[in-house]
Amino acid sequence: MSKRAGTDGSLLASLPWTLAALAFSVLPHVQYLPFWATFVFLTCSAWRWQVERKRWRLPPAWLRIALSLTCFIGVLASYESVSGVGPGSALLTVMAALKLLETKQRRDQFVLLFISIFLIMSSLLREQFLWSLPYLVAGVLFTMTAWLRMSTSSQVSIVDSFKTGARLIAYAAPLTVAMWIFFPRISTPFWAVPIDTSSASSGLSDQMSPGDISSLSMSNAVAFRVKFEGTVPPPHQRYWRGLVLYRFNGRTWSGNEPSLGSGARSEVDYLGDPLRYQVTMEPTQQHWVIALDIPYEWDLDHTFMGPQHQLASVQPIDQRVAYTVVSHTGFRLNSKLPEFARSWYTRLPENGNRRTLALSRQMRDDAPDEEAFITDVLQKFNNEEFFYTLEPPALGRDPVDSFLFDTRRGFCEHYASAFAVMMRAVGIPSRVVLGYQGGEMNPMGDYMIVRQADAHAWTEVWLAGRGWYRIDPTAAVAPERIESGRSAAMFDGIAASWGFTAPSEFLYQLTLTWDVLNAKWNDLILGYGPENQGKFMEWLGMEEPDWRQMMLTLVAIVTILIVIISVLLMLRYRPPPKDAAAILYQKFTKKAGVPPSRGETPQAYAVRLAREQAGMAGAAASITAQYLDARYGPPDLVAIERLQVSVYDFKPRRS
Amino acid sequence: MSSIPWQYLKPRLYRRAVEAKVERWARKRQGTDRPVTELHSRRVYILPTAIGLVFALMAFTMLLGSMNYNNNLSFALTFLLTGLGFVSMHQCQRNLVRLELSFAGVDPVFAGQVAEFRIAITNHSKNRRPHLQIYAGGVTSNIADLAPGESRIFHLEIPTQQRGYVRLDRFGIRTLFPFELFRAWAWLHMDLQGIVYPRPADYALAPPPTQTAHGHRQHDARGEEDFAGLRKFQVGDSPRHVAWKAYARSGDLLSKQFSGADTSSQWFDFEGIDEDDVEQRLSILTRWIIDADQTQRDYGLRLPGQEFPPAHGEAHRHKALGSLAFFSGLPAPAEERAA
Repeated sequence: MSKRAGTDGSLLASLPWTLAALAFSVLPHVQYLPFWATFVFLTCSAWRWQVERKRWRLPPAWLRIALSLTCFIGVLASYESVSGVGPGSALLTVMAALKLLETKQRRDQFVLLFISIFLIMSSLLREQFLWSLPYLVAGVLFTMTAWLRMSTSSQVSIVDSFKTGARLIAYAAPLTVAMWIFFPRISTPFWAVPIDTSSASSGLSDQMSPGDISSLSMSNAVAFRVKFEGTVPPPHQRYWRGLVLYRFNGRTWSGNEPSLGSGARSEVDYLGDPLRYQVTMEPTQQHWVIALDIPYEWDLDHTFMGPQHQLASVQPIDQRVAYTVVSHTGFRLNSKLPEFARSWYTRLPENGNRRTLALSRQMRDDAPDEEAFITDVLQKFNNEEFFYTLEPPALGRDPVDSFLFDTRRGFCEHYASAFAVMMRAVGIPSRVVLGYQGGEMNPMGDYMIVRQADAHAWTEVWLAGRGWYRIDPTAAVAPERIESGRSAAMFDGIAASWGFTAPSEFLYQLTLTWDVLNAKWNDLILGYGPENQGKFMEWLGMEEPDWRQMMLTLVAIVTILIVIISVLLMLRYRPPPKDAAAILYQKFTKKAGVPPSRGETPQAYAVRLAREQAGMAGAAASITAQYLDARYGPPDLVAIERLQVSVYDFKPRRS
Repeated sequence: MSSIPWQYLKPRLYRRAVEAKVERWARKRQGTDRPVTELHSRRVYILPTAIGLVFALMAFTMLLGSMNYNNNLSFALTFLLTGLGFVSMHQCQRNLVRLELSFAGVDPVFAGQVAEFRIAITNHSKNRRPHLQIYAGGVTSNIADLAPGESRIFHLEIPTQQRGYVRLDRFGIRTLFPFELFRAWAWLHMDLQGIVYPRPADYALAPPPTQTAHGHRQHDARGEEDFAGLRKFQVGDSPRHVAWKAYARSGDLLSKQFSGADTSSQWFDFEGIDEDDVEQRLSILTRWIIDADQTQRDYGLRLPGQEFPPAHGEAHRHKALGSLAFFSGLPAPAEERAA
């Protein structure tokens, strides 16, 4: 039986670069891909490379089909779907791996490079960081260089291929910028496909169980950035409301799914001066829309005010959104609370946290009225041995009891929960608000950064005549947390008592600068939508252009650029300029009046000239000798000068 | 059912017709080219390849995706690829413009062999011209790069069937550089032709007997018997006649000359062959000439109205075989006989 021939090794020159380009495109996906998909890709790449090097045979069709089916089922099992960026990029990765195993010819590699481009695209859909732009350019350079390698002869070095790729990208860059600026942007998507279902949400959690998870996120990731028009509220007024929790089962606080609070805004009496500001919120995959205290107006589409006066969007926030809000920090909420609502906000399991209930009722009996009772409770937190810490001990079966009487260590959630329970114990309606408190001004960009580590929990109690009234029990324990904000605390030495160390001042400045760059990037590049484009067009002098005008401008600019590129290429391939000696010699033949014929050497020409025009014989011989010396002799300026003098002095004497 | 004229729906038919039309148009537009021609940009044509069309489709899909997600970075990627498409179109066309093509000859062949047309391409520019190829019909040359200033010969192997001329009315030069998204090409009409000798007969019919020509020939003819002196060695001289002793003495290669001697020669006569078919006779004559040439014997050729006295050597062989190639059965015109 004759052995089937293996590969012929014809891809040895181009395959490594195709593999490198693919690997570069897979790289940003690795952290999201299921482990096995990366493994399959790496294995198949190494396998295919060995096949080419050792002239092995490619795997048989049945094996490839079996692998394809397995991988497809694997993707389905990992994601339970095949649409969206997550499963899409996993599919592309395994497709690339399996296509490698059947890549026989040069041309099969085109498919691989198309996959490489789609992988780059899907990584851009998933995340758009500052470095995504250089990554994009590098990815295209890699892919297109691998593309060049497929059709280049082996004499061309890889450096030259990279240079060619870079040169072509440099030509294409102005075209890209022009198209990017002028291509009309539309605001509404054609169809909704989930961007990514695999990435974890980084926003606020939907419920709160103090004592379960005994440490708080210290993530420095930006939650949102705020630009105030006018005055910036002082730190103790920076309460960014997120969601409201009002159901308590003895351990866990929870709230409603986002729902429309019909007439919620009419339950608010707005007091004081409005604050106008623009929020740029990072995606959370959640519905909550952050605003300062109680919003009065907001311009985000499909966003409504819920029954607890918090904002929520119909769609989960899966992309960065920017919106303008008008808020009031002075307000009166629900000056009248219906009886059924009152019963929601005072409901408390009677069989848990008994010591807390007993203590509260005891304290209420000692206080003359509700407000005095509240003050007493806060006083208790302040005066007794309660500590603010980010890493409190875990709590037992009755978490509020064990917190108040045993551990006495906790962060905002513990205090908010304990306080709200104590209020409910004596029939005061109370609820817990999750959101963010504080935010640091970035002096370099004149905007405020609020980070995930600024997440906070506080309470609202309802008092007759005052409505819902914010009380932050954490402030009683660690007033500096509220007064100065977390970031300022880092430099006041308070941080150590909270359980984190302050970075160096220099690093801190660096972080702020980096954040300015990111904010500008988000604003100018990622946020270049219909609105910004309209503004830019206006700045260019186009009054409210419609898409037709913009397309015409686009076509005009692109045409001009292409003409420029064409001229550059023409110059690139022009013959080198003649050297000085050749130009002088040409002048001489012109003066002599006898054109040299094609392929005639200077000597032959001199002989012919002497024959045809005897009067020039002497000059012809000497100029020819000088020319040959200047042109082909060692580089010598004197020789050229001599030739120049002779040619200028040459007087054709016709015989 | 059969009323549908399916045969007219075959795209190949139309393709051939369109190609013929385009060829005629190009020829009319460009005229006949000189044997040395520099490509002007006006005569370099360009069209996308299949891969180019897929690339365009991909860019369009990516554009839709970018619009749907309103993702400015994927817009940037899409436009960068679109820009690369435009750039590669111009780069592809420029890769041919101002190349100099010249005809570098074709050697005579026997019918049935391939005639190898040599086309020299010169890159006068300061930059490399990658991925060039010459083609004519289905025949393609090797693909090669031209370094700055380099001149390289490309070979087109055109199959031949009949004696006479093998014509290369048109050939093309094409390139796929840089990304194979576009194919740029130019047609050249240099009206090249090469000589095709008749197909040599396979079987060796015995050649006519050798005539020994005593005294028929002048002493300038090379004999084998009487030593007449030494002369400088010339390519083609038999090693047996080299004066090796003289070589050992002086280091000069000299050949011994003989004269007045027994010069053997053959006459190949068209009329003398016992065969009806003209082509067959020509084939037999061709075979005889080849055999005689290989053994360095003198031979003469007699055709109706044409006669080549016995001689040998490359020029004689070419004259004899050429006359067979263009043999028409009629006496050749006087001037051609003189030549």
